[in-house]
Amino acid sequence: MATVADRLFLRRRIVNGVSLVLSGLATLFGMFWLVWILWTTFTKGVDAMSLQLFTEMTPPPGQDTGGLLNAIAGSLLISGLAVLMGAPIGVAAGTYLAEYVNHRKLGEVIRFVNDILLSAPSIVLGLFVYTVVVRTTGGFSGFAGAVALAFIVLPVVVRTTDEMLQLVPTQMREAALSLGIPQWKVTTQILYRAAAPGVLTGILLALARISGETAPLLFTAFNNQYWSTDMTGAVANLPVTIFQFALSPFEYWNKLAWAGAFLITVFVLLVSITARFFLLRKKMSHD
Amino acid sequence: MPAAAAQAPAAPRLLDNLGDWLFRNIVAVAGWFVLITLVLAAFSMYWGGREAFSEFGFGFLVSTQWDPVREQYGALVAIYGTLVTTAIAMIIAVPVSFGIALFLTEVAPSWIRQPLGSAIELLAGIPSIIYGMWGLFVLAPLLGNHVYPWVDEHLGPWPVLGALFRGPPLGIGMLTAGIVLAIMVIPFISSVMREVFLTVPTRLKESAYALGSTTTEVVWDIVLPYTRSAVIGGVFLGMGRALGETMAVTFVLGNAHRISASLLEPGNSIAASVANEFAEATTPMYQSALLALGFLLFVVTFVVLSIAKLMLMQLKKREGK
Amino acid sequence: MTDLSIAINTSVPAAAELAPRAAKLSARSLAFHYGDFKAIKDINLDVPEKRVTALIGPSGCGKSTLLRIFNRIYSIYPGQRASGEVILDGENILDPKYPLNKLRSKVGMVFQKPVPFPMSIHDNIAYGIGHYEKLSKADMAVRVEEALRQAALWDEVKDKLKQNALGLSGGQQQRLCIARAVALKPEVILFDEPTSALDPIATGKIEQLIAELKQQFTILIVTHNMQQAARCSDYTAFMYLGELVEHGVTSTLFTKPTKQQTEDYITGRFG
Repeated sequence: MATVADRLFLRRRIVNGVSLVLSGLATLFGMFWLVWILWTTFTKGVDAMSLQLFTEMTPPPGQDTGGLLNAIAGSLLISGLAVLMGAPIGVAAGTYLAEYVNHRKLGEVIRFVNDILLSAPSIVLGLFVYTVVVRTTGGFSGFAGAVALAFIVLPVVVRTTDEMLQLVPTQMREAALSLGIPQWKVTTQILYRAAAPGVLTGILLALARISGETAPLLFTAFNNQYWSTDMTGAVANLPVTIFQFALSPFEYWNKLAWAGAFLITVFVLLVSITARFFLLRKKMSHD
Repeated sequence: MPAAAAQAPAAPRLLDNLGDWLFRNIVAVAGWFVLITLVLAAFSMYWGGREAFSEFGFGFLVSTQWDPVREQYGALVAIYGTLVTTAIAMIIAVPVSFGIALFLTEVAPSWIRQPLGSAIELLAGIPSIIYGMWGLFVLAPLLGNHVYPWVDEHLGPWPVLGALFRGPPLGIGMLTAGIVLAIMVIPFISSVMREVFLTVPTRLKESAYALGSTTTEVVWDIVLPYTRSAVIGGVFLGMGRALGETMAVTFVLGNAHRISASLLEPGNSIAASVANEFAEATTPMYQSALLALGFLLFVVTFVVLSIAKLMLMQLKKREGK
Repeated sequence: MTDLSIAINTSVPAAAELAPRAAKLSARSLAFHYGDFKAIKDINLDVPEKRVTALIGPSGCGKSTLLRIFNRIYSIYPGQRASGEVILDGENILDPKYPLNKLRSKVGMVFQKPVPFPMSIHDNIAYGIGHYEKLSKADMAVRVEEALRQAALWDEVKDKLKQNALGLSGGQQQRLCIARAVALKPEVILFDEPTSALDPIATGKIEQLIAELKQQFTILIVTHNMQQAARCSDYTAFMYLGELVEHGVTSTLFTKPTKQQTEDYITGRFG
């Protein structure tokens, strides 16, 4: 009897060991590629780094000097405007979900739709804004680009606000209402304050997400060789610039593309890390 | 004693009610805005593609012709490419992501779990254009010069499956695109799976361990059945991501408007076609064809994402949310 | 029974010593529904002015539900409704025309779990006051100090008024919530199991505070702890399954209950 159980146990241990090793290998496999990609980006990016990037405009094909100044500035403008447009609407919609229609059918429907928007391919959103904004206004514009990115910011902020507001204990709402404070003041002055760290984190993560988005800009802001801060026309931006330069046969353009890729990656990682640590610290100070 | 408080409420009351009414309506408009956005997005692309749809009808879906000069468009090449690259990506990414999620939740020593998990979440946020560039400049030449010739020589001659692996060692093509897509989707799917695995109540697992189960048995018998629909939901989420991915594949797919049996050959996907050709689409019919492609992509991802959501909601119900 | 007798004998004045008081709050034919479920069944209850009345009963008897009718906090939840009358100073507060913020300035509430607002200690108190009155900074500081003294918290926080309220201990946070409620100078204060989340020392401080507060405010306290009811209250109402079974002077209710159900609950036969 003992030997049968022992043999069974041995077999189970072997199976277990094999699966565990496989899972470890899978992790190594996954991490290997990702680390390689990051390494490539960093080395090629650092190789292409120079002060020029921040002082010169994008060069015409064939030239072997030049920078990314107009593209960087344009990206900052477009992203900034996108967050300014998308975040307030997102916070308002998230408030509606958490405070007014929380356990009702309408709330479930809006949350469902919001999650679809959240995971929808960004190229689809770009096409949408193309038909609605670019076609009606007659041309590419930085503004259209910001609108397209705002539609990516929106569902992220809606979801974060919704979840963060739901985390605020009901008794805090009731305590404020018991003082005779009206619902709208309770929400804006008490609940928002309580949920603020989480909501801000969501906005930062949305910013990180739109920083590298190329596809929606292809049909909206397009690109611009020159310096332009006029949001009613095509505006230079980093992702589309990288796209064009990388696919071209010109070596210097390829080099600039790597520099741009490096800058975007660093920016995205910095914003994401800041957002997560910020939320972690705020959470810890409350417990 | 309460004199001051008793007198004051008269004035604020009107403002209170007005404030409540105004605030309620503002947030309601924002909430409805979300709904309208989706409906409007679907409709606008359908509207933009209607010329192509009415011109080519059902043939649009099954024609492989893509001729801007003669204004003949068919979506089959793009659909085929989208499906094949996504399939390759899923075949590679799902087992690997599963292994990673398993490692992170059950196997790894506890000090490494949180940092490694956070690292993978951060990696999931890297923009896809980075993957595309790496694919074009690093992976494709590597595969084209060192791997594909071997594949063509040794796997090509096989009777049926060999057709998949025969072809010029270009480096770019469907297989490369599928691989890049897989790498991009792995951090995403493994994060979702890890979150799902973490929802299993510890005491459930502990009671299994207390009976002498091995880690693998706990996963197989407890964790997986508990999270089954959510895991499938996570896979569908990843698939939705892969289907619509533009930048990771545009660089390495090759933009070729023909269907080939071989994975080593270039091809096209819906997102890649639209991205590559939109700038050159000067005629209304050309634009309409591309918008029609966009609409198809929208419908497919909508269906996939809805299924994903429904599966994930089942787990939430279990948790009592 | 021994614990209860000790409690009764050492704290609350006997029935004869209690001067009769007018009813501050009167519930008449009061009923409450959660959807279709009738949780409170036709209650008549007088809450005497400037006295402590305790509501006791087993879980689910409706004591918290009853308490929450008195400041109409249930009104934010659809599907919950009250019928009947509650008279406060001659007016029916359940009348939809009776303004909510007037009600809540007269009837304050302290909850089971201390919920300080995410602001400084000073601002927690000033926030409520600021909604009703426009005061200068100096006047506001005076009001804040007054409220904190009434809640027996001033000495512990006077040097850190600008600090975030979440840094206080559980007992201190609850006293802060009490200060917040008394700052509006209400006439009635409702306590919903105020010490169930606190340790014994903090609980003792709050009970002491309630004994002082009743000189100025009418107090209604829900508690699942019978000893606490015996220690702190002048009157006690025993509820069971949504009905008011018995109501009277605390010492009398605990020593000579008139209903069998009351005696069963007090002696621990159920609940």
